[in-house]
Amino acid sequence: MARSGHRINRVPLLRWLVIECTAIVVMALLWAMHSRLAGYSALVGGLIFLVPNTWFAYQVYKVEGARNMSRMIGNLFRAESVKLALTAVFFAAVFNLMEPIYVPALLFTFAVMVVMGAALRWFIRPRPQR
Amino acid sequence: MEMVIMAAALIIGLGALGAGIGFGLLGGKLLESTARQPEMANQLQTKTFIMAGLLDAVPMIGVGIAMYLIFVVAG
Repeated sequence: MARSGHRINRVPLLRWLVIECTAIVVMALLWAMHSRLAGYSALVGGLIFLVPNTWFAYQVYKVEGARNMSRMIGNLFRAESVKLALTAVFFAAVFNLMEPIYVPALLFTFAVMVVMGAALRWFIRPRPQR
Repeated sequence: MEMVIMAAALIIGLGALGAGIGFGLLGGKLLESTARQPEMANQLQTKTFIMAGLLDAVPMIGVGIAMYLIFVVAG
């Protein structure tokens, strides 16, 4: 379906991205009241969530429709593996390369964004094209 | 230090195991139900996508904590 350019579902990828970016900035500002380092760490924690998750959403909706379901499931498994691997690599890079870092802000923002991302996909769902 | 590495390995391993089983079941059920009712494929795909987001929440947080244990606590 994606090859011909015709989409079955309208995937609100940009809307999710904007809401998640806004949430990350708000969290970073809230943590910045504690200290500037905490705000910066919260921003990094949010970005660690955002990049693999956007990749996952893009990959899952690359193919659509009943005919392409087996390809879509293959994409789902691959995207999930890549998402977990990317998250691990980003965390490893941050803990190794960024000094100093405020770990509670980093992990708390990441955890909040993971839960919020799941809730966001529930409330703003992809809708069929009319 | 060895115990910290063991703990991180357990967190990542068990998280990956749970996510793998969950995704296997999810994908299998999606294929099964699409074969039964192909006209429902779009709705099922959307529901699978939402469930996938919920399913990998715990392994994702586990990966974060495990990396903290490996690179900050043990490192």
